[in-house]
Amino acid sequence: MPKYFLSVCYGLILLFLSSTALTAESVTKPFAQHRVVLQISDPDPFKQTLVLNVAGNLIKHYGPDAVDVEIVAFGPGLRLLLKDNSNVERIDQLANDSGVRFSACENTISAFTKLLDEEPELNPHATHVSAGVVRIIDLTNQGYTLIKP
Amino acid sequence: MQIRNTFVTGTLLATTLLAGQAHSANWLMLQGTEPVGSAEMAKVWGFVQPEYQSTSGTDLKAGPFSGQSAVFNQIGPDLNTDSQFNIRRARLGVRGAGFPLDSNVNYFFLVEAGNNAITRNGGGSVKVTDASVTFNHINGARFRIGQFKYPGSEEGLQAIHVFDYINFTNMTNGLLLERFYDGDGSDTQSANSPNGAVGAFRDVGVQVFDSFKHNDWEHSYALMVGNGNGIARGDNDDNKDVYLYWSSAKIFSGQGPRRDDWKLFAWSQQGKRTLVNLDQEFDRDRWGVGTTFRKDRYRAAFEYVKADGMVADGTDGGAVPGSRNNADTATASWNVATDGEADGWYAHFGYAVSPKWELDIRYDVLNRVTNVAAAERQFETLTLGAQYFLNRKTRLIFNYEIRDAEAPNLAGTAVPNQILDGIDNRLAVQVLAIF
Repeated sequence: MPKYFLSVCYGLILLFLSSTALTAESVTKPFAQHRVVLQISDPDPFKQTLVLNVAGNLIKHYGPDAVDVEIVAFGPGLRLLLKDNSNVERIDQLANDSGVRFSACENTISAFTKLLDEEPELNPHATHVSAGVVRIIDLTNQGYTLIKP
Repeated sequence: MQIRNTFVTGTLLATTLLAGQAHSANWLMLQGTEPVGSAEMAKVWGFVQPEYQSTSGTDLKAGPFSGQSAVFNQIGPDLNTDSQFNIRRARLGVRGAGFPLDSNVNYFFLVEAGNNAITRNGGGSVKVTDASVTFNHINGARFRIGQFKYPGSEEGLQAIHVFDYINFTNMTNGLLLERFYDGDGSDTQSANSPNGAVGAFRDVGVQVFDSFKHNDWEHSYALMVGNGNGIARGDNDDNKDVYLYWSSAKIFSGQGPRRDDWKLFAWSQQGKRTLVNLDQEFDRDRWGVGTTFRKDRYRAAFEYVKADGMVADGTDGGAVPGSRNNADTATASWNVATDGEADGWYAHFGYAVSPKWELDIRYDVLNRVTNVAAAERQFETLTLGAQYFLNRKTRLIFNYEIRDAEAPNLAGTAVPNQILDGIDNRLAVQVLAIF
């Protein structure tokens, strides 16, 4: 009986830990009814404004708790997440007030490092992901809708 | 559901379009820098300004050129007619960060192909007006090198495609929009025509500048050293012009050239000009103060400028330069009061009646050669204006200028006052399209 009880406890603990890990990794808004991943990979600076506008308007329309938004930046689009980008105030606002997440592609960071001879400083809200495109695939597999403005 | 989708799409589109217009409101920063991390490698842009201007064409009423065309009633740049259609400006530019990953370096390049005093003087039909590189490596001290607008009067420094009027004030046209000559006009057999393009409020040199935000306030400074010899060429002497500029602006809302703010500014220019025909150097000093205001539907501006040396002093008898006098003994020329003093000011008020219509009124005064009583001339113009915005990039500008001039220290019957009595009002209509 104690052995059976311990096994059940271990099982419950593992189940709890695994669900917590999943939550921390991708489901940070448990009550979100819509989950959206926005792709920014374009060199056009206008796309930076556009992707932030789209994120802001999704939040505005559905409400911050009802929509989960993650912006994944890779390729030339990674400039959006450089530390001194001119949109830094809007990024701060979206991250702090609305819980929008920002992911930065490590492959692109490596490429930028070679071009600049130093690693670029990123916005503190940016989370490193091994590859931007892989992150997008993972999120879409979890039910996120991919939008590339 | 369809209505909801339409709402989302519409909101996204509207917000995108509005945000896409955003620029810095500070002319130093707007023209000299690019947004960090979001500059294009090469952004192509420009604008065209077709226009029509006319006066009554009243001829000179007195003096040695009596009966001939009055220079002040002719339409530039050619001064051949009292009414004409013209392409006032046609500019094409490229700007950006050549290596977009490095926000520390950006460039600005602009050429002029319109028919004006930039392209008509000094040869060629297209001229480079701006070609500069800015280095942003040092916090608080950006360096801009090349040919570009020097820091100074708001009327000159502001981007011309947001100018609310068609013609500059008498003050700016007479004291700041510099023409370069070889002589002072005293040679009676020469027109003393400009020896190159009009200055266009630009110089070739190096500028250190930056802008600092503190709560709602934005403070900016600039220090520049330049040739002081105009654009599209090098220097003609060893003297250099020194420019100083400071502005403080309280920002109400928005951003871009038309943001709502209240700005205070002061500036100075010190330099020397060499007149090769006289083989002499003359001081040319300018300074000014001013303020601009824009909030909701209201716009206002005021500037005062003081000039010392190298003051444009009109033409002989008010005639078109190059004309022979009636006795055929002398040629009318452009004149320069090399040691002259002058001052001027203007006040501007604007009111946006609706998103499409804006009404403007401006009163400006130029007191020319105030240090020689007999030579002093006073010019006053009241400009009534209206702007119709077809869209955010295209507008029509209507101006009617009620012009007056006199020699205040001479009798009303004196020849200069008889000549100046003939100054006509001027009608101007312009299309301004930015792309």
